[in-house]
Amino acid sequence: MQNVIFTQARVAMCAVTVLLAAPAWAQSQQTVSGRVSDTDGNPIPGVTVVERGTTNGTTTGANGNFSLAVQPGATLVFSSVGYTTRTVEVGSTRNFDVRLAQSTTDLAEAVVVGYGTQTKQEVTGAVDQLTTKDIGDQPVQSFEQSIQGKAAGVFIENSSGKLAQGMRIRVRGVSSISGGTQPLYVVDGVPILNDNLSSTTGATNSTADINPNDIESLTVLKDAAATAIYGSRATNGVVLITTKKGKAGGTRFTLGVQGGYSEPTHRREFLNNQEYVTLFTEALMNNADPRINSPAAIASRLRNYAGGATDPLTYNTNWQDQVFRKGAFQQYDLSAAGGSEKTHFYFSGQYSDQRGILVGNRYLRMSGRFNVDHQATDRLKFGVNLAATRSRNYRVADDDAFSTPMQIVALAPITPLIDPRTGLVSGSLDNNTGLPNTTFPFYYNPLLSVQGGSYITDVYRLLGNAYAELQLFKGLSFRSELGADVISQQENEYENSLTYRNTGPTNNFGYSASVLNTKVVVNNFFTYKATLADVHTIEATLGTSYEGSNQAGNSVTGTQFPSDAYRTISSAGAITAGSSYRSPYALVSYFLRGSYAFAGKYLLGVSGRIDGSSRFGVNRRYGVFPAASAGWLISEEDFLKNNQALSLLKIRASIGKTGNQNFSNFPSRNLFGGASYVGVPGQAPVQLGNDYLGWESTVQYDAGLEFGFLNNRITGEVDVYRKNTTGLLLNQPVPGTSGFSNLAANVGSLRNQGIEFTLTTRNFVGDFTWTTSANAAINRNLIQNLAGPDILGSYLNRAQAGQPLGEFIGPEYAGVDPANGNALYYLNTTNTDGSLNRGTTTDINLAAYVPIGNPNPTWTGGITNTFTYKGFDLNVTLVGVFGNQIYDGGAQYYSTGFNNGPDNQTRDQLNRWQKPGDITNVPKVIYGGGNGIGASSRFVQNGDYGRLRSVVLGYNLPSEFVKRGFLQSARIFVQGYNLLTFTKYTGWDPEVSTDYLTGGGVSQTQGNINQGVTFYTAPQARTYTVGINIGF
Amino acid sequence: MKNTIIRLLTATVLTGGVLGCNDRLNVQPVTQIDASNALNTSNDVQAALVGCYNGLQSVYLYGGYIQFMSDLLADNGDEAFVGTFSQPQEAQRKTLLVNDATIANTWLDAYSTINRANNVLANTSKLSTAALKSSVEGEALFIRSLLYFDLVRLYARNWADGTPSANPGVPLVLTPTTTISSANNVARNTVAEVYAQVISDLTKAEAELPVTNGFFATRYSAAALLARIYLQQGNYAAAAAAANRVIASNRYQLNTSYGDNFLSNSDLLANSPEDVFAIQVSSQSGTNQLNTFYSQYSRNDVDIQPQFINAFETGDDRKNVYEYDATYGLYYTNKYDVLYGNIKLIRLDELYLIRAEANFRAGTSVGASPLADINLIRDRALLPPLTTLTLAAIQKERRLELAFEGFRLADLKRYQQSTIDPTTGASIPWNSPRLIFPIPLREINANPNLVQNAGY
Repeated sequence: MQNVIFTQARVAMCAVTVLLAAPAWAQSQQTVSGRVSDTDGNPIPGVTVVERGTTNGTTTGANGNFSLAVQPGATLVFSSVGYTTRTVEVGSTRNFDVRLAQSTTDLAEAVVVGYGTQTKQEVTGAVDQLTTKDIGDQPVQSFEQSIQGKAAGVFIENSSGKLAQGMRIRVRGVSSISGGTQPLYVVDGVPILNDNLSSTTGATNSTADINPNDIESLTVLKDAAATAIYGSRATNGVVLITTKKGKAGGTRFTLGVQGGYSEPTHRREFLNNQEYVTLFTEALMNNADPRINSPAAIASRLRNYAGGATDPLTYNTNWQDQVFRKGAFQQYDLSAAGGSEKTHFYFSGQYSDQRGILVGNRYLRMSGRFNVDHQATDRLKFGVNLAATRSRNYRVADDDAFSTPMQIVALAPITPLIDPRTGLVSGSLDNNTGLPNTTFPFYYNPLLSVQGGSYITDVYRLLGNAYAELQLFKGLSFRSELGADVISQQENEYENSLTYRNTGPTNNFGYSASVLNTKVVVNNFFTYKATLADVHTIEATLGTSYEGSNQAGNSVTGTQFPSDAYRTISSAGAITAGSSYRSPYALVSYFLRGSYAFAGKYLLGVSGRIDGSSRFGVNRRYGVFPAASAGWLISEEDFLKNNQALSLLKIRASIGKTGNQNFSNFPSRNLFGGASYVGVPGQAPVQLGNDYLGWESTVQYDAGLEFGFLNNRITGEVDVYRKNTTGLLLNQPVPGTSGFSNLAANVGSLRNQGIEFTLTTRNFVGDFTWTTSANAAINRNLIQNLAGPDILGSYLNRAQAGQPLGEFIGPEYAGVDPANGNALYYLNTTNTDGSLNRGTTTDINLAAYVPIGNPNPTWTGGITNTFTYKGFDLNVTLVGVFGNQIYDGGAQYYSTGFNNGPDNQTRDQLNRWQKPGDITNVPKVIYGGGNGIGASSRFVQNGDYGRLRSVVLGYNLPSEFVKRGFLQSARIFVQGYNLLTFTKYTGWDPEVSTDYLTGGGVSQTQGNINQGVTFYTAPQARTYTVGINIGF
Repeated sequence: MKNTIIRLLTATVLTGGVLGCNDRLNVQPVTQIDASNALNTSNDVQAALVGCYNGLQSVYLYGGYIQFMSDLLADNGDEAFVGTFSQPQEAQRKTLLVNDATIANTWLDAYSTINRANNVLANTSKLSTAALKSSVEGEALFIRSLLYFDLVRLYARNWADGTPSANPGVPLVLTPTTTISSANNVARNTVAEVYAQVISDLTKAEAELPVTNGFFATRYSAAALLARIYLQQGNYAAAAAAANRVIASNRYQLNTSYGDNFLSNSDLLANSPEDVFAIQVSSQSGTNQLNTFYSQYSRNDVDIQPQFINAFETGDDRKNVYEYDATYGLYYTNKYDVLYGNIKLIRLDELYLIRAEANFRAGTSVGASPLADINLIRDRALLPPLTTLTLAAIQKERRLELAFEGFRLADLKRYQQSTIDPTTGASIPWNSPRLIFPIPLREINANPNLVQNAGY
């Protein structure tokens, strides 16, 4: 009976098939052709094009073109690894322009991991992979800036609006107090140099030497399963960068031209001349000293400030406007990629020129890349990846310098821009005497440094590797990589006579420094891949690595130049300082990774590394960093395999140990250094050592869930993690009476734990596509134990057990005493009965130090929406940082109602206390009175912000049109960067971290603790650009 | 298969080349050296002694901040700090903050230099000759005593303020630090203990030091410092005797003109015959932070006030180191106009003033009569001699002679004079806690055994 039914059904189906197919017999086959490209209009070669329901198909050529004879009414299926599959009905169209969106969830997608690649399916660690689409063509200096808000748990912060300055990149929080906290960057297998080489206290960003447009993919390794293979450098996460490669096929040229302008995201409101005179006079009157408060003294003071004008309102200078300008951005890219069956190449060149929003700030970069791979025999493949970069940075002074442009806001609005008595910019040399003008304006005018000084940093960098890969027998290959990173940096500062007041009466000032930072990396490793009995997939990597680096530099300072025309130290009459240094370092490592998959759904992974580092004490030189992970691809199980709603379900978990050894080169040694005295040689102890000093180690637990619904229209990942860092290599404060201020020891512990969400939804597919990618991450940082005293940072930042790193701990501001206008602080002392004394005091020294703000965001995230329709595409990225506080270090000067001096004040100071009974938060203004200036919660503000980071609207010209111009593709786009900022923060910009407290001028410990502080820090730039990309 | 094995072996050998690089981890520091190589020979110990002088040069010590901050803290209207740095402003208002970075650095640099001196003192056996051993030990003791005396004056109550044997002074650390343990959490010794230590050390140093020693410390540097200490204690007989030992040595002479102590035609200011001990500065070594703050050619942060200028008698040559700027109606001091000028810590004129005051108060005439000493100072200032002498007259000469050189705070407390809160005009007595530096917050934080000063 069953058989009968079956047979009948088959007959019926045949009949239907015949009926449906009938019209086809009536018409002949037709040829359709077209071109397949990605959403940016770049052709995709090798795309499989199949007529649905048949085996009839072809693949696209090097230029993305295809041609196929199909039946009328056919439907074409376009598929390629790394892209979402698209189906298109043929209808009456004969020429197709098909765009494939890059896929984020294809299980076969290759994911770059340490010393190899895995498929997305096999990965059992927490990994985020971004591609060229997320990185290139943005008006930024370095690639990190362009991935802000695009990878969950990766917090990226620009220090300021100065160009190519140091940045903070934190993967899953900060795991070290005294060590480096930036991730390890690996470019094409070479862990690169990432030292700050700036001679000034502010840091520069060495990753700005990497052309973002050369990056094919950027993978962030987050959990121990992914990172442990980088062992002692993995705790802060690892960023693997793979540069672009050529593909077989015709040579394809790409030209990109982009230009635009930028402006500050926000200007701060300061008093104008009338407000200044009113408030300043009040402050002077409130000072009891008759030398200050007498009408004659006030009039004389105002006259001095106003350049001698009797009417103090003669001038109304907005000084802020004098240092901000409309910046300019232009960038030109040209690349060629292609190759034969055996040889592939990618060449590129870039020239970019950015003029910053601050006067005098400019960044230029020229870079070239040369990637070649050659398959010599069936078994031997070798190649070279090499990039050369030259950059020039016209820097402006650090935030704490009088000469930094932003400190111009301190000048009084009643002071003229041009001093009428000399006809020169106020503060220029007195023409009559030739002497420096040290009394007018009341501070040094930073514009003089713009006119008379320069600080130019030139960097030449060669980064590359050569590799050979030999297949020993099927499945087993051996790869040897020799990499090098060579950075040569010159810094030249010159300050001419205009800058006297800042540089001293030395007849000009010259500083010249050069650094050669070099690194050699040798990696040798075996990789074995095999599938046994169709269900057991084994993969193993085993290898060794040696890294040796050396940083050597010298500098010379000269003064007494014959005239402003001489600008190099060869003409200096006095050499006032000179120095040289050398600092070597070596790392020897053994690493392995093994993974096993059963039936493609039960996954196991182990990995680890043994590192030996010259940085550590003789007794603790080697460290072992293992990790294990497991995954279950539930959606591959039979009971889910054909489920239409649930297309992907994978759970994974990992545990592992990683280290951090990002410290100065000799922290374990007792050291003496030179300490001479006017030409007589001398020496002095400089550091106490510790033979047992070793790695900071972090044990990280991670559990992840990956899911896809509705044919992966909705996909996402959720990860929870905990990172326990113990044996912190802590520069503990020690009693200064010992002759030292700190000692490195492996003590203390801290924890980061958090949750990361990623969600991608393809809201519309078809002609009109709309894709939303959102991510959010929560991280909680907690110092559990310091095994010693708190570590104090600048202002109120502190490392204290029981608090997150850098927590602001200080006096709590209690507002203003309505009776007399005095600033009040809560005592916050403990009463004898154990209760908290919330009484107030005017003496800030009597107020207990309590937690008053956290500079660490509680959560961060981003949303990117991508729309495409026909040739148009629109990409909108919003980022958000929430829950953190900011300490305004400059507020003591510009938001204290002249209590600290004559500096111009922010307009909120107009709400000052004036008479008994006034209820306000702004204390009585007293010139030099010190009322309310002490560091307290008064200067702490919420730093939450949301920002429209980028909006890109592009149009790909139709291919018929493009081809008429003998082009392959053409795309024009307009872009806005940092268009809108949503925040209640009243300072310049909430994305802030002052350079002088976080760069090379302070210890790494201080740099880590001093988070969330602004000090005359320049805001970010809002940039508008227009560009075109042409393929030919 | 054989082929494969050969390739495999080749590859392994390549890898093995890396396995053999463990000794590559023995990387030695080159810019600084391991301590085990630092203090082995006589030359090493002499170099370590020079490192102590380098320590004294620090801007937070005698490079300028000790003198500058203490003068501002004591000031009652002689000068006005008009710069933007908040620490000097706070000092002038007498509202120092516990987290004052300058005050913390003075503490840290002082103890760092004390540790340098302790390293020298612990290694004097390595010096090649007895004479060298005696001289080096004397210099190290002098340097350590100089710092302890200033620390106890800045961070603790004055000698005559309450009971010195009960008042907390500063911790006395007398041995080099080679490791850190709880033993380093030292408590404050009493004021009396600190004075006793420095007097004992300086007495030994005076005996050990040579009579000439270039610009380094000599026997008379130690005697002069002893004179200062005894004066601060009110031990006038000992003060007069110690001052007299310096004067009577005849190794020092007053310069013809007062201004010769400060003025120079170049950007260097050498030691003069009047200098008993001076911090050396050159374009390549040290920073004259007093130049930075005071000089009208540098930051020009200090206006000298009429109250001070008006204190000069007509014709006083010392007034000529103060310059009037008619444009702004302000006086500046030219004492620190030399960019790389040596910083004169102990001059012969101070010793005459100490001897005069000590003799006057003790009713003695050790070396000379107080009137003769004061008239010597006045004569050099082109002023007519006095015929009778009062304590006030001695105090006035001392104020005018040593103004803005870091003497004001200790003298104010010694004279038990009050000063003025410049913001409110209120009087602040000499023994107010506001006139004592706080123990730095970083130090209280690092060492649970330290007791904070009253008022902080």
